[in-house]
Amino acid sequence: MTASTILVHRHTLSSRIAITVALLLLAAIPTMPFWASSGQIRLIIELSCLIAIAQMWNLLAGYGGMVSVGQQAFIGAGGYSLFVLSVYAGLNPFWSVPLAMILPALLAAPSYLLLRKLDGPYFAIGTWVLAEVFRLVTGNLQVVNAGSGMTLRAMGQFTAHQREIGLTILCALLLLITVGGTFLMLRSRLGLAMTAMRDDPVSAASQGVNVGRMRFGIYVVAAMGTGLAGAIYYMAQLRISPSSGFDPYWSSICIFIVMVGGIGRLEGPIVGALLYFTATRLFGHYGASYMIVLGLLTLLIALFSPGGLWGLFGKLRDWPWFPVGHRLEYRQRGDA
Amino acid sequence: MVTPSGQQTQADGKEVLLSVRNLSKSFGALKVVQDVSFELARGEVLGVLGPNGAGKTSLFNLISGDIAFDTGAITLSGTPLGREPSYRRAMRGIGRTYQIPRPYAKMTTFENLLVAARFAAGRSEREAYLSCAALLEDCGLAGKANLPAGGLTLLDRKRLELARALAGEPKLLLLDEIAGGLTEAEAGQLVSLIRQVRDRGITIIWIEHVLHAVMAVAERLLVLSFGEKIADGKPQEVIDNPDVRRIYMGIEA
Repeated sequence: MTASTILVHRHTLSSRIAITVALLLLAAIPTMPFWASSGQIRLIIELSCLIAIAQMWNLLAGYGGMVSVGQQAFIGAGGYSLFVLSVYAGLNPFWSVPLAMILPALLAAPSYLLLRKLDGPYFAIGTWVLAEVFRLVTGNLQVVNAGSGMTLRAMGQFTAHQREIGLTILCALLLLITVGGTFLMLRSRLGLAMTAMRDDPVSAASQGVNVGRMRFGIYVVAAMGTGLAGAIYYMAQLRISPSSGFDPYWSSICIFIVMVGGIGRLEGPIVGALLYFTATRLFGHYGASYMIVLGLLTLLIALFSPGGLWGLFGKLRDWPWFPVGHRLEYRQRGDA
Repeated sequence: MVTPSGQQTQADGKEVLLSVRNLSKSFGALKVVQDVSFELARGEVLGVLGPNGAGKTSLFNLISGDIAFDTGAITLSGTPLGREPSYRRAMRGIGRTYQIPRPYAKMTTFENLLVAARFAAGRSEREAYLSCAALLEDCGLAGKANLPAGGLTLLDRKRLELARALAGEPKLLLLDEIAGGLTEAEAGQLVSLIRQVRDRGITIIWIEHVLHAVMAVAERLLVLSFGEKIADGKPQEVIDNPDVRRIYMGIEA
């Protein structure tokens, strides 16, 4: 019916470079115990967990339209799963890490059914209340040492070097699953639906997208990714307590990283996490005044660049790292 | 030709695509649609007229499943739709446009169409690429395929609404004031597009205030006032109906 053939491009030069660099960096992380200091490794573990948790929050808020201030519920649930599996079932902590995604998923499914009728701010408050309930319940459970928290003694069977090797491998896998997995999901048919929902859920439903089921799936997947990051983070800490695992500060960090980096873009949380992480290392010792500056920065970006730093950069140069879009090119046929 | 069981036919032997029976909907004390019934044959183009607030868009929302009806029945090709959500109805072949265009603002024009082709029409990636690229050309949007839809002009947004609904391969297309807010020339371009859609055999219900635009394509008009059907018939007969002249056009007969 048309006189032209078409080509659909998905990658760009910038994305090929960025993805190659990203894979090389990921491969480099597990080699760190052989050349980097323990301090540097700790920093990379923390940064990996931040990126993963922020990317999951971006998936939830940026694509699913569900602004949660209670993702600490799943950080805590993932962390506690690991400790309980190790202490009570005697499992090797490293092998327990993937199992730590089960409890967050089991908690997320009924939580979503409770929260799904709530919209916007009510949803946010609902997630917060739920996270507080998890914190209070954990703080009163004698099996997990109530308010005093748990220690991961099983790590004592490994040398410091072995722990570092295990943790760096886990961090590389964490980033591969959360960032790489989100990338692959967004490029698929489901990603098309998620991006449409981000822009207009009513239109998306009238074009055949089951918005309710998509949101449920996103909520559960985000909980699992967040729980995985929580398990790795607290494994590195060797200790978890209700007040740290279920700390609402986790959600503040998510909101800061994603809002400043760029919401609804894959690159946003990475940019935001790098900024937050660097700023905290450099200026963290200023304490309260540093927090005020971070708050003001969020406010300014929300007011003047709702697309975050990545959105600002995108206006200058269209160099995506992880392209999920489609560029259509018409080519006239040579013959008649 | 064998008619599959359950399919209704009209008195003149035409297959009934959509049947709306005693449909009612209230928002609290406000009755937006009251006891509306009509049938639509496959391939028919029905224009819907009525003053603002007459319940035209509410009728669309009930048919597309954006809102649920209180009482009555809606049947598509013999299947009662009941409380089926809008995404299921889209997959069954009910496509719609919105009066105020609702594009996926940050996605490109091409990607806007892909959503409908992959989900409502259930096409594979390759099929969707081909059909959406062809639709963009047909609707005059090929040059804007890679632009974010949020930045399009009003005419292009209206075209996009139409193209996106068509990408879902509807059997029944609901057009909500697609010519509203456009200049004469722009409305004329859309009318010729809608004629092409009709010629493909797609059944259309078209809400419009731009009377000559809808008269140019519709074979039948239905008039709503305060949620009730006050006229339904051949365009000229409906236009000459004294009630319609008084209520809709403000002309005392």
